[in-house]
Amino acid sequence: MSEPSIFFSEVNERQGVFHRRAFLLGGLTGAGLLALGGRLAQLQLVEAQRYQKLSAGNQFNYRLVPPPRGLILDRNGVSLASNRPNFRLMINKDKDLNAEAVLDDLSKLVPIDGSRRARVLRELDRAPRRAPVVVMEDLSWEEFSRVNIRAPELPNVTADMGEVRVYPFGGAFAHVIGYVAKVSDRDLKAAEGDATQDQELLHHPGFRIGKQGVEKAFDQPLRGRAGATKTEVDAQGRVVRLDPEGDIPATPGKAIRLTLDADIQNRALEVMGDESGAIVVMDIRNGDLLTMVSAPSFDANRFVKGLSGPEYKALAEYERKPLLDKSMTGLFPPGSTFKPTVGLAALAAGIDPEIRINCPGSWYYGGRVWRCWEKGGHGPQNLHDAIKNSCDIYFYQTSLKIGPDAIAKAARAMGFGQLFDIGIPGQKKGLVPDREWKKRAFKKNPANQIWFPGETPSYGIGQGALTVNALQLAVMTARLANGKKALTPRLIKSVGGVEQPSGAEVPDLPFSQEHLDYVRGGMAAVANDVRGTAYRQSQLGLGDVQMAGKTGTAQVRSYDKGVSRDSKDVRWRLKDHNLFVAFAPFDDPRYAVSVIIEHGGLGGATAGAPRAREVMRVALLKDPEIRARIERPAPLPEAAPEAVMEGAAPADPVAGPAPVAAGPDGVSASPTAGPQGAPR
Amino acid sequence: MTLSGGLTRPGERDRPIIKFMEVDWTFCLVLAMIAGIGSLMLFSIAGASWEPWADKHLLRFGIYFVMMIILAMIDLRVWFAIAYPLYAVGLLLLVAVELVGDVSLGAQRWLSIGPLRFQPSEIMKIGVVLALARYYHGLSADSARLSWRLLIPAFMIIAPVLLVAHQPDLGTAILIAAPGFAIMVLAGLSWRIILAGAGAVLVAIPPFVMFVLHDYQRNRVLTFLNPEQDPSGTGYHILQSKIALGSGGLLGKGFGLGSQSQLNFLPEKQTDFIFATLAEEFGFVGCFGVLFLYGAVIFMALRIASISHSHFGRLAAGGVTATFSMYVLINGAMVMGMAPVVGVPMPMLSYGGTVMGTVMIGFGLVQAVRVHRYTEVTSGKGSLV
Repeated sequence: MSEPSIFFSEVNERQGVFHRRAFLLGGLTGAGLLALGGRLAQLQLVEAQRYQKLSAGNQFNYRLVPPPRGLILDRNGVSLASNRPNFRLMINKDKDLNAEAVLDDLSKLVPIDGSRRARVLRELDRAPRRAPVVVMEDLSWEEFSRVNIRAPELPNVTADMGEVRVYPFGGAFAHVIGYVAKVSDRDLKAAEGDATQDQELLHHPGFRIGKQGVEKAFDQPLRGRAGATKTEVDAQGRVVRLDPEGDIPATPGKAIRLTLDADIQNRALEVMGDESGAIVVMDIRNGDLLTMVSAPSFDANRFVKGLSGPEYKALAEYERKPLLDKSMTGLFPPGSTFKPTVGLAALAAGIDPEIRINCPGSWYYGGRVWRCWEKGGHGPQNLHDAIKNSCDIYFYQTSLKIGPDAIAKAARAMGFGQLFDIGIPGQKKGLVPDREWKKRAFKKNPANQIWFPGETPSYGIGQGALTVNALQLAVMTARLANGKKALTPRLIKSVGGVEQPSGAEVPDLPFSQEHLDYVRGGMAAVANDVRGTAYRQSQLGLGDVQMAGKTGTAQVRSYDKGVSRDSKDVRWRLKDHNLFVAFAPFDDPRYAVSVIIEHGGLGGATAGAPRAREVMRVALLKDPEIRARIERPAPLPEAAPEAVMEGAAPADPVAGPAPVAAGPDGVSASPTAGPQGAPR
Repeated sequence: MTLSGGLTRPGERDRPIIKFMEVDWTFCLVLAMIAGIGSLMLFSIAGASWEPWADKHLLRFGIYFVMMIILAMIDLRVWFAIAYPLYAVGLLLLVAVELVGDVSLGAQRWLSIGPLRFQPSEIMKIGVVLALARYYHGLSADSARLSWRLLIPAFMIIAPVLLVAHQPDLGTAILIAAPGFAIMVLAGLSWRIILAGAGAVLVAIPPFVMFVLHDYQRNRVLTFLNPEQDPSGTGYHILQSKIALGSGGLLGKGFGLGSQSQLNFLPEKQTDFIFATLAEEFGFVGCFGVLFLYGAVIFMALRIASISHSHFGRLAAGGVTATFSMYVLINGAMVMGMAPVVGVPMPMLSYGGTVMGTVMIGFGLVQAVRVHRYTEVTSGKGSLV
C-alpha cells in the first residue's frame, strides 16, 4: 500500500482542522490549568495568612479556665468564704447532638429526673452552638467516675471538676459577705459592652458573681482573670491532644481580709438565738469592726446553688426578715442609748451637770403629762445619776434647755445620721432631726415646717423622728469610749494584701475631754453601780475588767394611760425594741458593742445587755493583753449579787457555758418582772 | 511509512514486542508519578498508614496499569468495531439503571449484576467518545462542519447525558457532554454553531439552576456563589477546602501535618478533596508541581492524538484527553472554590476505583491510538479490514 493513498485531500482537510482545533482546545485547557495555578497563588500566597489563622482557629480550641475566686478571710486569716471542688456534668451543644438520647444514656449513670431533664433540654435549646450546658453539679465521686469511665461512648458529655463557693460558717456572715449566685440574664445585659468584664467568663457555665455584701462590692478583685487551656480538637470538637505549653494560667482573685473576727461573730449570732436584731462590735482604738451580725440569718450556701421558689418565698416573707441586714439597713429609734449623746450636747451647751433636776415620775409640759419610766420618780438627779438611772424627766427638761439643734449637732458628731464607707453597699443613714430638717421635710406642708417645742422632750430621750442603725450606735459608743478621735468604722482590712486606710486616722471629737469623761462615768455607773439599770447583766466576770454601757428601749407604739407596757402578752411586732450599747474595759476602752433586739421587749437590760456581755466577753478573752490582765494572780471577783428574780424571769437567752464563767451567770435573769420595772 | 525508521516491513508493527515498545512510556511514568503522589497523600491522611486507602490505591493503579498496557495492544480496528456496540450496551444499561438501579446517597447510579456492582455512566464516558469518533470517521470535513448529519452525534451525546443527569449525577453528565462536544469541535464543527451552543448554555444556566436542579444541587450552586452565608451547612465543604488550601502557603505544613485533613475538618478528604490535602501539606510548590504533571499528561495525550494517521484515532484520543482535562479542571475549580461542589474527583489522585478505572481504560485507548498510529481504519461500515 502506497503512502499517498491514505492522505487523500478529504482526509488531509480533516487532519488540518483537527490539528488547529486540538491546538486551540489544548491551549484552552492550558489556560484553565493556569487559571487554577493563579487561584492557587491567590489562596496560598496572597491570602495565606488569613487562611492560616482560620486553620489554627479550627485546629486549636482555647478552653476557658475560670479563675479561682478570691478568698474572704477574717482578721486572723480564718476563711469566711472559700472554694470547694465541684464535680459537674455538662453536655456540649453540637450540630448533630441528640440531646434526648444523650440524656437517656446519662440517666442510666446518674439520677436525672423529669424536671431536670426539661431544664437541660430548654437550656440546650437556648445555648449557642458548642456551648456546654450544665446537667448536674455536685456529683459524688462515684457518679463522677461512672460518667468519666464511659466518656468515650458519650462524645458530647463532659464531666469536669470546677470550683464552687462555700461559706464555712453558713449564716453568720451572710449579710456582710453576701453570696455569689448564677449570672442572670439581667446581669449579662448590664455587663454587655463593658470592657472591664470578661464576657466569655460571664457566659461560662457555672460561673457565679457576687450579688450582695463584700462579694458584690469586691466582685471584680475577687473574680481574678480567666485562663485557658490550649487543646487540639478535631472537626467533631473532640480533644485530640493537650498543648500545655500554650496554656494561659488563670489569675486567682484577690483575697479580701475583713476586720471581722470569726469567733466573736459566731458567738454574736449564737447569742441572738431566735431573736431578730443586730450586734456590732468595734475596736475602740482603730475603728475596726470585729462583728457585724444581723439575725435571723440565712445560709448563704443555699444561694450559691440557687434557691427554689418556695425557699426564697419563705425567707422573704418571714416576719423577722432574715434577708435584711439589720446591722446597717435596719433603722430604729435609739431610745435611751441616745441619752449619753444628749448629755454631751448639754455639757457642750454649758449646762452644769451637777445642777439637779427633781424627778417626781411625771412632768407637765405643753399641755400634756410626760412620764418617766420610773413611775415613782427618781428624785433629784444630776447628769451622772440621770444617765445611770436613765431618768427621762431630767432629759426632757435638759433637752428643752439646749434645743434640738444642739442635740442634732452632738448626734452628728457622734456619728448618727451619716453613712460610713465600710466598703459594702446597703447602709441606711437614718435621721437626725433638727429645725433645718423640718423645713426641708415638710416643704409641702408649711404649717409643719417649724419645730414644735413638744418635739424636743422626745428627742431628748431618743424618740421621735430620730432613727439610727446598729453600726452608728457602735460608732457612737466607740467614739465616746475612745474619748478623743471621731473614729470611723472599717470592715475591709486589706484587698489582695493592700492594707485599707484605718478608721483612726480621723479628726478629734468636738467635745472636751472632761465632758467625755463625765458621760463615760455615767455609763460606767449603769453597768457597775449596783443601782444602775443594767448592773447585773453587765457583769463580765472577768476580774477587774469592767464594762460600761447604756440601756435603751425604743417605743414601737404609743401607750394609753394605764395600759401595761409589760410586753409579755403583746404580739411580737408590737413589742418595744430593746437596745444596749457598751464598751470595755472601762478603764482602758478597747471594744465597743451595740445590740439591737428588734421587738425585744421593754428595757435594754433584759434582752440587749446579757447578749452584749457575752459577745464582749469573747472579744476581751481573745485579746491577749486583756487575757493576761485577767489571768494574773488575783482574787476571784465576788460573785455578782444574786438577784433572785422569782419565777417569771425568762431564761437567760445566752446559750452555752461562758468561756470563763467567774460569776454565776447562769442565774442572771431578766429584771423585767423586777419591782422597778424596766428601764427606758 | 518512512517516518518510523526501520519499521517498514509489512507486519513488523503487529509484532507484540514492537507494539509494547511503541507504548508511550514517558506518559506512563507521569501517570505513575501522579498515582504515587495520590498514594502518598492517602498514606498521610490515614495518619501515616497504608491502610485503608494508600495500599489499595497503589494496587488498583497496578492492576489498571497492566490493563492499560493490554488495551494498548488491541488493534485500533477492534476499537473501531466495538464503538457502536459498546455505546448501545452503555445506553441500554443506563436505561436499566433508570428502571432497576440501586439507590445510593440519594442517587440512582449503580447497577448490580451478581456480585458486580458498577456505574454504567462510566462505560458511557468511553462509549460516547468511541461512538462519536467512529461516526465522524465516516464523515466528510464539510458535513462535520455543518449539516443535518450533525443531528446524529448531537443525539448520541444528549441521550446518555439526559439519562445520567436524571439519576441525578450532574458531574458525570458534564463529563459526558463536554468531551462529546469537544469531539464535535475537534472534528470541525462550524464556529457559528460552537458560539451559538456556548451562548445557549450560558443563557440556559440560570433557569436550569433555579427550576431543573434538585434542591441540594441548587444549594451547592448558591453556596458556591456565597460560601460564607452558611459556613457550617452547605458552605462547609468549600470553606474548609479553601482554608486547607490557603493555610498551606508556599511550602505547606509538611507531610502528615495538615491539620485540616488530619483532624477531619476537610470533608471527602481522601476522594473529591484530596487536592486540598495536597495543597495543605505541600503548599503552592507541591500543587503547582502536580498541576504541571496533569498538564504534561494532557499535552502528551493531545500529541498522541495529533500524530495518529486515522481520523478515528485522532478523535478518540482527543475525546479521552478532553474527558481527563474536564476531570482535572472541574475538580480543581471546585476544590479552590471556583466552581460549585459537584462529585468530580481528581483523576489518579483521588481514592476510588471507578474514576481510576475509567481514566486508565481511556488511556489504554490513547496508548492504542499511539501504538497503532499508522493503522488504516476503513470507513466502510462493519468492515474491519
